[in-house]
Amino acid sequence: MENSHVRDAMHTPTETEGSAAAMGAKIQAQGTNVHYGDKHALKDVTLDIRAGEVTSFIGPSGCGKSTFLRCLNRMNDTIDGCRVSGTVMMDGEDIYDPKIDVVQLRARVGMVFQKPNPFPKSIYDNIAYGPRIHGLAANKDELDEMVVTSLEKAGLLAEVKDRMDSPGTGLSGGQQQRLCIARAIAINPEVILMDEPCSALDPIATAKIEELIDELRENYTIVIVTHSMQQAARVSQRTAFFHLGELIEVGDTEQIFTNPRHKLTQGYITGRFG
Amino acid sequence: MPFSFLLLVLAGLAVISYRFGTARARAVAPGRQSQLHSRPMYHGLYAAMWCGVPALLIATLWVAFQPLLVKGLVMGGLPDAYQALPEARLNLVWNDIRNLAIGDVVRAQPAPEIQAAADTFHRLYAIGNSALALLCLVLAIAGASFALRRVSLTLRARNQVEKVITVFLIASSMVAILTTVGIVLSLLFESLRFFTKVPPLEFLFGLHWSPQTALRADQVGSSGSFGAVPLFTGTLLISLIAMCVAVPVGLMSAIYMSEYAHRKFRAIAKPMLEILAGIPTVVYGFFAALTVAPFIRRFGEGMGLSVASESALAAGLVMGVMIIPFVSSISDDVINAVPQAMRDGAYALGATKSETIRNVIVPAALPGIVGGVLLAVSRAIGETMIVVMAAGLAANLTFNPLDAVTTVTVQIVTLLTGDQEFDSAKTLAAFALGLVLFCVTLALNVFALHVVRKYREQYE
Repeated sequence: MENSHVRDAMHTPTETEGSAAAMGAKIQAQGTNVHYGDKHALKDVTLDIRAGEVTSFIGPSGCGKSTFLRCLNRMNDTIDGCRVSGTVMMDGEDIYDPKIDVVQLRARVGMVFQKPNPFPKSIYDNIAYGPRIHGLAANKDELDEMVVTSLEKAGLLAEVKDRMDSPGTGLSGGQQQRLCIARAIAINPEVILMDEPCSALDPIATAKIEELIDELRENYTIVIVTHSMQQAARVSQRTAFFHLGELIEVGDTEQIFTNPRHKLTQGYITGRFG
Repeated sequence: MPFSFLLLVLAGLAVISYRFGTARARAVAPGRQSQLHSRPMYHGLYAAMWCGVPALLIATLWVAFQPLLVKGLVMGGLPDAYQALPEARLNLVWNDIRNLAIGDVVRAQPAPEIQAAADTFHRLYAIGNSALALLCLVLAIAGASFALRRVSLTLRARNQVEKVITVFLIASSMVAILTTVGIVLSLLFESLRFFTKVPPLEFLFGLHWSPQTALRADQVGSSGSFGAVPLFTGTLLISLIAMCVAVPVGLMSAIYMSEYAHRKFRAIAKPMLEILAGIPTVVYGFFAALTVAPFIRRFGEGMGLSVASESALAAGLVMGVMIIPFVSSISDDVINAVPQAMRDGAYALGATKSETIRNVIVPAALPGIVGGVLLAVSRAIGETMIVVMAAGLAANLTFNPLDAVTTVTVQIVTLLTGDQEFDSAKTLAAFALGLVLFCVTLALNVFALHVVRKYREQYE
């Protein structure tokens, strides 16, 4: 662990060396570059994601924070003309190693998207889909239980328990997003990636999701991309600031927001640009 | 003045009024065009409309009713001896008069009263045409000057022009609707005539089709029987075979094109696939009759089966190939319309590509795919040329795809081609068959559109 953590000083963000490993880094990205065709979207990002914490990525639009997030479960593979270089280690394994099966990786690293995207199926089938394709439930009763547990963890059970067979697309936006979170945790991932999960929701639904993120932190490692600095401050323990495809600064959330070390970070969090 | 020349003159006048209209509008507000309610162009169009539209309407009505009027006047002027003739003979006389007047081939020596009537005919037409020309010109000029006089700062020329354009658009859309209504009505009335000769129940549920009727009373054994069930089963059989080919192939190719194929391959392959839809059906027809049918026959004989040289299988297979583009093109569009978010959602749960397609994309696209398939079915049912050439004419009541069968469309073709009298049950049967066909395809289309619309509501 310690050895794999030695980094090129050029790319080291302002962070005390080794502290991440001490806290138990779940994911370690090293010199990660992403190209979309000719466009160099992510430049040499080296960053640790700690286990059992919420890490938020902030930065202006087009800064590469979502791109980096999608590197962590290889969702970028589905985009034509996208190339990823560098290494991303999860529990000491390079997830871009050809030996790694991307399907199994994504079962370990769940994802929630900006716009709620429930499948046009029933609420029950939405949650049961993941366990079904991965064969997690031995019988119907187990599957039922998984669905109920996931909905409960996502704080949605009380609202939908009487209409498990109605379509998931019929729920409100906030409920749909919680359904998507329930769907993601149904396959019991280790990491949950959230790509601006609240940007399509109203303040009340947002508050519920934020509360949920805080509860989920106990069992899952969470990475969240957000445009709202208040949200980053509220839900995350660590914050990384991206700008123009580069990781500018990463540190404890409190430190980033009260005492940023980099001029750009300070400019962004005080609202001078972005 | 010939009618075409009159139209040309009217168009010229309209252009001139347009010019005058714009010029006048500019003159009304020199240098301060923003004070005009409507831009000068609209004043020009307004004048052109007043110039052209009334004159054109009158001209159209005139041309439509002039022959009737002339006929009435000419025939009314004939001596009483002619007036007393029966309807059919009177029409012959009228033909003589007209031919004589136009200078067409006529009987050797026209009677003097016929000659006189022809002269009257000629004279009436000459008067009518001149009057029409004069009336049109007067109307055009009056309309234009009326419009030009009204040009002012406050004239709402734009609103008027837009209103006329709306009317024109409505009229255009009515053409298609009225044509449909007309076709339906003609089908309906002819079918009703048929059903007075053959009871509807016998037609819809009879098991024997042999539409040869006796032309003369003394002919034997040709009473004709109009049980259309063999035709329905034939149509059903061939459509079924066609769908068995088209649906899997079309759907699979659509899935490959939209999900797996590289963008460059898709850019070439999709238009090539759609070329299939551009091949004339008659070409498919002789492909089916000359290539596929003999092949199936040889193949079947090799396996010890007896295959008719014109078989439902050959027609169905080729028809299936023909409608592949319908299924694949619509399915491809629908699959592409499934939001990327659906795919992302499934991939993020660790679904493989094929799981994503089977469990998420196809179910989400299913209503649209079904819509496409139903459109293809109605196309298959209505298809004529391939079955005429490859499926044969024998109205066998069979579900064996190796037999010759016949379809509703083929029978309509054979009933109506050649010299036919249009009051026998034989020819009228074609209209009844057409009506059935129309009802079935209409129902399918309505259902398909409904399904497609339901799908659209889901995502937009």
